[in-house]
Amino acid sequence: MIYYYLTVFPMEALIASELDPKAFGSYMATGSRKGSAEQLIFIEIEGGFESSFDWDFAEKNCVSHSSGEPKHSLYLSIYRVLENTPHSAMKSMFLVTKDGRTLQMYKNTCKVPGNWKGYAMYQELCPVLPLVVSSLNPQQFGEYIISDNDKVTVPAIVFADVKLINLDDFENSGNVGSMYDRNLAHMKDCVDSVKSEKKKKLTKTVDRSFSSSFSYQIIDTGVYAASSEGIILYAMPTREELKQNHYDWGRSANIF
Amino acid sequence: MTGLIIVAALAALIFAAINFYGMKRRDAGTEKMQEIAASIEEGADAFIKHEYKIIAVVAAGIAILLAIVVSWYSAASFILGAFMSASAGWIGMKIATISNVRVANEARNTRDIGKTLKVAFQGGSVMGLCVGGFALLGLYIIYMVFGKGLGQLKPENLSFHKNWLGISDIPFTMTVSSYALGCSVIAMFNRVGGGIFTKAADMGADLVGKTEAGIPEDDPRNPATIADNVGDNVGDVAGLGSDLLESYVGSLISAIVLAAYTFFSARNTGSAISESLVSKLVSYPLVFAAMGLFSSILGVLYLQLKKVSKNPHKELNRATFAGAGFTLISTGILTWFYFSGEQIAPISFNIGTLSPWVCAVLGIVSGILIGQMAERYTSYDFKPTQGIAAASREGAALTITQGMAVGLTSVIAPVITLGICIIAAHAAAGLYGVAMAAIGMLSFVTVTVSVDTYGPIADNAGGISEMAKLDPEVREITDELDAVGNTTAAIGKGFAIGSAALAALSLFASYLYAQAGEDSAGGIDLILNMVNTMTLVGALAGAALPYLFSGILIEAVANAARKMVQEVRRQFASDPGIITGESKPDYKTCISISSAGALAEMKIPALLSVATPLVSGFIFGSEFVGGLLIGTTLSAIMLALYTANAGGAWDNAKKYIEHGHYGGKGSDAHKAAVIGDTVGDPLKDTVGPSLDILIKIMAVVSLISVSIFSKYNLFSLF
Repeated sequence: MIYYYLTVFPMEALIASELDPKAFGSYMATGSRKGSAEQLIFIEIEGGFESSFDWDFAEKNCVSHSSGEPKHSLYLSIYRVLENTPHSAMKSMFLVTKDGRTLQMYKNTCKVPGNWKGYAMYQELCPVLPLVVSSLNPQQFGEYIISDNDKVTVPAIVFADVKLINLDDFENSGNVGSMYDRNLAHMKDCVDSVKSEKKKKLTKTVDRSFSSSFSYQIIDTGVYAASSEGIILYAMPTREELKQNHYDWGRSANIF
Repeated sequence: MTGLIIVAALAALIFAAINFYGMKRRDAGTEKMQEIAASIEEGADAFIKHEYKIIAVVAAGIAILLAIVVSWYSAASFILGAFMSASAGWIGMKIATISNVRVANEARNTRDIGKTLKVAFQGGSVMGLCVGGFALLGLYIIYMVFGKGLGQLKPENLSFHKNWLGISDIPFTMTVSSYALGCSVIAMFNRVGGGIFTKAADMGADLVGKTEAGIPEDDPRNPATIADNVGDNVGDVAGLGSDLLESYVGSLISAIVLAAYTFFSARNTGSAISESLVSKLVSYPLVFAAMGLFSSILGVLYLQLKKVSKNPHKELNRATFAGAGFTLISTGILTWFYFSGEQIAPISFNIGTLSPWVCAVLGIVSGILIGQMAERYTSYDFKPTQGIAAASREGAALTITQGMAVGLTSVIAPVITLGICIIAAHAAAGLYGVAMAAIGMLSFVTVTVSVDTYGPIADNAGGISEMAKLDPEVREITDELDAVGNTTAAIGKGFAIGSAALAALSLFASYLYAQAGEDSAGGIDLILNMVNTMTLVGALAGAALPYLFSGILIEAVANAARKMVQEVRRQFASDPGIITGESKPDYKTCISISSAGALAEMKIPALLSVATPLVSGFIFGSEFVGGLLIGTTLSAIMLALYTANAGGAWDNAKKYIEHGHYGGKGSDAHKAAVIGDTVGDPLKDTVGPSLDILIKIMAVVSLISVSIFSKYNLFSLF
């Protein structure tokens, strides 16, 4: 059986594989000499949809080795994959830790987060990687980024909303990893500029390439995929759900 | 009343046996849990067997030397001390490897922290009871066989006797000192060997498994994880047990030896000390310790029998304070009756019959204060450790710098406390009072060792829970018990260091008596002439020695850890299936690396501590060794406090960040704090505890050999 995976972080690619999602995540994070010991986010997709991707090539070449070992990965595309993948083809999203443990997140309809504070911080993951503060909620932000009304736009985007901390009390930050390690003063300015009634800024870029400090422990409500078709939410399980059902993954992701 | 000693020792050992077999009867959990526990037990057993084989050769050599140069009774008591110390260490390690899986299973079955605490404490109590029981049993045998049976305690025999080489000593002081030497040599090997093993495994597991591969703590995919758990047993349990048994015996014999020399000196100056009072001064420390042991048994029973709450820290403190409280009351009553009616004027009991008891109370209070100070500098509830966490935001260099500052600053307060204790104890009961203060500090050692041992047992139980994939709730229980163990361990270290300082001072006074020898017919002024070039140079060399010793130990840990790191990297690279969980790592090779590293590297530091006073004595003479002892004691106390507190503070600064401060896990501050913790690991768990033993082993070796090298040394030829 051939699986198709759209990797969205740290690189965008369409990969065919005989490995199921769990095994594929483990292989990509730890088993591949191209990128061992790094976290990976990918979406399982239903192949064969109308596009320029060469599905026949995949059918022909994604076959087991003569030793019987399954084909680990066959790259079908490494450029503009996300924008060419319809939402209807997207299945679950998988967050893979550095040591190869995989968390499956299911598709949900997007809604305004219950704890909405009037602004949010978004880590864009694909196809661009800036960290931005915005007064827009996730749905509005997704629509804003893909709309043609602004110069800064992409046809499709994957982003995560990140946990907000009290920037004046970094000592009691909570377990948020290295996201807030640098430029706290600049971050405060950015937050102020989107909160300010006078400036009325909808978004403000905190950092153009903040991805190296991105870690799963700072994902707040989940990861979003937006395109002209709408927006999908891959909801992050609660801490209690992680503890009960995905404890090993939570430990590898530095959540426990 | 001396019958109390054997009753207390046997009661402790019988209670230990009951708890040992009671623990064995408990359910060991699932097949997977038992398989992991068996691997840990197998590794620990193999290491201890190898280690004891090496120790047996060294101990046999020392015993033969003692038999030839000193006397057969010295050799016999040395072997007895070594046997008692080795037995306590071995049984402690054994019960820890039996208890760990049963503690995990108790947490699995009950999900109750209080009930799990009781099982962990039951395991720890076996070690505590064995330390108290074996130490007193050995001393009772010495007292009865050599002191009473062979008449070494008869007043006429409490004087200098010449052996066939013309070397003179007071036989009973030599016998008890040799017993202490036996305990010290085993303790040194167990502490150094276990310390190297555990830190090499710990660092190897962390540096590659956690940092490079991103594998969580105690994950079965980490090839060094079983070795890490084995290390907890051979280092933190067997090493700790032998160490505290040695401290306990060291403090007891320092008072006994001092009593013997005081009598000899007083008799030569014409002071009248009655025969019964001499006998009581010699036996009082043992009877005092027996009362302490009874009280400790009550303290242990208190926790084992009561319905415990969900606050393990409070429960353990209650058990410790119960033991201390019972000790204070029982020894107060004992002292009153023991010395009532005796003519105490010639022996400096300046505040009456209760003088030695007051000194012991001073020791207990000082020990608690030093422990509290250690907690203040190492707990993340206080500013010093929080300051290290804050400094970690600026990188590893400042983590190290701030930690060093905290460690260095932490030295002064305990030293002032010790100074006040020494002056007050001396004012109350002379040098005998100082020795009693050391005994007071360790009088309820059974409870403190029980509490200290429960920590590594809970740590291992956590490892087994993780590797056997037990519910997160189980791991939370064992983690909480482990965290409490870290705090109680810091307090325990305060007692160990404080008692080492006080015992060393008493042993040093005995050294000066022994140095004066039979020529001291007109009485002895206990004066060390620091203007004497030999003394001064000896003090300088002595002050440098703990640094050399610490450097060798740290290098030994680094060497073994480097090999471990290379092996873990090799396994990950050669078999990608390990990290994906498809292949099982080769745990045994990692255990072998730690084991071989520890066994190869432990000999030099251990022999250095025994050989230095001997070699320098035979070259430079007794004044030099006097200076050497003072220099080593002062320098080692400072270094022990510094290493213990800096290491503890680095460790807890990392934990403070992990509890959600400055970004928590994965933050830059956390990465810096992990480096600080790794630097501090060999300091607090290998170097610090070994320095306590270094002080006493050198003092005892010097005390035994001074009569020889004050007569035969190279410089006396010129």
